Amino acid sequence: MSDSGPPRNGDDPSTPDSDDRWSQYRQRLIRLGKTSVGERILIAVSALLLSLVVGTVIVTAAGLMATCRSPALTFGSTTLCYDPFYVFNRLFLGALGDPFAGGWSPLNAQFAATLRETTILVFTGLSVALAFRAGIFNIGTQGQLIIGALAAALTVLWAGSLVSGTIALVLFIPLGLLAGAIGGGLYGAIPGALKAYADANEVITTIMLNFVAVRVTLYLVRNHFADPTSQATQTRTLPVEGQFPSILFDPRTDFSLLALLIALVFVGGVYYLLEHTAFGYDLRTAGIQPAAAEYGGVDSARTILKSLTLSGALGGIGGAVFVMMTLGKFQTGIPSYGFDGITVSILAGNNPIGAVFAALLFGVLKSGSNVVAFATNVPPQLVGVLRGLIILFVAMPEFFRIIGRRLAAREPDSPAAATAGGGADD
Amino acid sequence: MTNDSAMDRLLSASGRLFIAAAAFLTLAVLAGFGLLAPASTPGQIFWVLASKSTLSSTLRLSVPIVLAALGGIFAEKSGIINIGLEGLLIISAFAAIFGADATGSLWLGFLIGIVASTLLAAVFAVVCIEFRADQIIAGLAVWLIALGLAPFASQVFYGGPNTSNVGTFDTITVPALADIPFFGALFDASPAVYIMFLAVAASWYVLNRTTFGRWVRAAGENPKALDTAGVDVSRVRYAAVLLSGVLSGMGGAALAINIGQFTGNGPTMVNGKGFIAIVAYLFGNYNPVGALLSTTLFAGLDAVQLRLQTADVIAVPDSLVQTIPFVAVIVVLALVGKTRLPEAAGDHYESGEE
Repeated sequence: MSDSGPPRNGDDPSTPDSDDRWSQYRQRLIRLGKTSVGERILIAVSALLLSLVVGTVIVTAAGLMATCRSPALTFGSTTLCYDPFYVFNRLFLGALGDPFAGGWSPLNAQFAATLRETTILVFTGLSVALAFRAGIFNIGTQGQLIIGALAAALTVLWAGSLVSGTIALVLFIPLGLLAGAIGGGLYGAIPGALKAYADANEVITTIMLNFVAVRVTLYLVRNHFADPTSQATQTRTLPVEGQFPSILFDPRTDFSLLALLIALVFVGGVYYLLEHTAFGYDLRTAGIQPAAAEYGGVDSARTILKSLTLSGALGGIGGAVFVMMTLGKFQTGIPSYGFDGITVSILAGNNPIGAVFAALLFGVLKSGSNVVAFATNVPPQLVGVLRGLIILFVAMPEFFRIIGRRLAAREPDSPAAATAGGGADD
Repeated sequence: MTNDSAMDRLLSASGRLFIAAAAFLTLAVLAGFGLLAPASTPGQIFWVLASKSTLSSTLRLSVPIVLAALGGIFAEKSGIINIGLEGLLIISAFAAIFGADATGSLWLGFLIGIVASTLLAAVFAVVCIEFRADQIIAGLAVWLIALGLAPFASQVFYGGPNTSNVGTFDTITVPALADIPFFGALFDASPAVYIMFLAVAASWYVLNRTTFGRWVRAAGENPKALDTAGVDVSRVRYAAVLLSGVLSGMGGAALAINIGQFTGNGPTMVNGKGFIAIVAYLFGNYNPVGALLSTTLFAGLDAVQLRLQTADVIAVPDSLVQTIPFVAVIVVLALVGKTRLPEAAGDHYESGEE
């Protein structure tokens, strides 16, 4: 894993540089870049920019090849069906509700949609990040989210048939979150146990379990818990007490500040767990140096099982929030929050606090893609392409180091280039 | 350590044996019912199993998985774990249909599918070899890029996630042999099925009987020795990863042309076949023939599942029956357990002193 491994090539230049003041300054910057956080943010931002550049190329190429009635741009005889700049304008500014258009309010519907997506992505991002820190690739957050969502919906529906009123108002949301956590956690425990005790590769088992989760929930909802009044494969609508209240924002936006707040509390919780508890320490050592962890007395099998269970629980809570905030019921065909969580986590360097920013960015992309679909005829799947590109570019820090090194070599006066070339050895 | 790995190997060997024995036993029991009580449910299942059309759909379903698995073997043997096989299948499936539609020739479409997959594999190779990316993350990226790009392109050119229909390959039928009850399916199949068998044989030969194959294995097991012998490790790895692109491209193109259309909803028409391919070659112990055999197990279960649904033999809901192949993959993986990866798989190799 790229995460804070042992120092790579040339940690310290063996030959002391000339007592040039400038080169000392550069050394300090290089070291600063190497102390991960700075370098990681740089890499994340560069990866993001690079994927937007590639995205622009793709939109332009698609715009050239597509046929359309009214081209968006015309250069002489060549016509472009899509205007890449307008696409990105809609994607980013549209997602925020056009902050420069005047009369902007942070409570606007599109920004609410962005925050709504962000809230769930925080949970899936945390889920993937927690596992990653333990050295486990949890690609199964999607499945854990689906199971958690159904568990939450069924539990709240069942509770709603028993009680109502004030008790329900106080009880239902925590109950739903708990059910989501248990559902997702147990579903995460399956690949956890398989990896811990049977050495089954978790990448494959979690992906397979995603497929299984889709079909099992489809079966359960269609055959046992269907809403008899609806054509769609969905459960009945949850009682009002089991749905997140909208605070400040328009209730029609299906966004609740309370849910976002809970998400941020979980960010703090996961951060604390990882950085300040004995279990977090075990988990991180197991992730970086499994052999050393084992030698140091860490029961690696149990750590794996616990990490994947916790990771699954976080995904499951994400599903519960999706059901109780966004949909108000369980419906098949849940959006791919789990896969987006992989990008969120990787973009954040698997850091829980970084995940908030990465989730906001991805929330912008997801809600912006709807604006794009509405304002242009560019396929909304563009965001799916960007998702993959961002992961690809973040995965190759060496690329940015080489570029940084080249820049630093060409222009020794540029401190920024020296930071970008954080791993440079001279 | 040596003891551990010997133990691991023993366990995984017994896991394989166990699965083979269980599969054989199940077949034998079903055959018993089929002969003694053909009207009973297990008896009916046996006759579904033993039908020529089950074998022919097993072969059809095997093609993309086997070809991707062969690609995965080359890449992983050379030291690059290519978890992005799924993405290569997706991109080639779309490109093949798009190409066939644009050129009006299925075979040209087939080629274009291979080219698309090879290009994506080249990107993956550069990212892993030149820029030392984490291979697992880069592989996931390849999958997710294709998962976004193929439906995106389909939307651009066809106005929806599904393309239009371009028709399918004509089957090749060997006159008399095609009439043999069960095995006749082997002689009455799409050209893609024959390509698959050829690719298995060729891959086995290349890996085990040629210099290139020896280099590929050395690049994964002991890159230092290969380097000392004067062979460029990076080049061997590039070749192996590109080869995985070519083979997966054949698989994806065959998958799409077999239906005549690319469908890009949700997980697309590839639907996890690339990941099943990974398990197939792990289960097959990196042997092309082993990969073929283990694929027949997964694809066979899928074929039986499809046939049971249409034949209405057992009253289990479709969505549950559809989980069978996925659950089988998990069970197999759990029983085989840790497979012995090539020594240097997943590691970056830097030639020279550093």
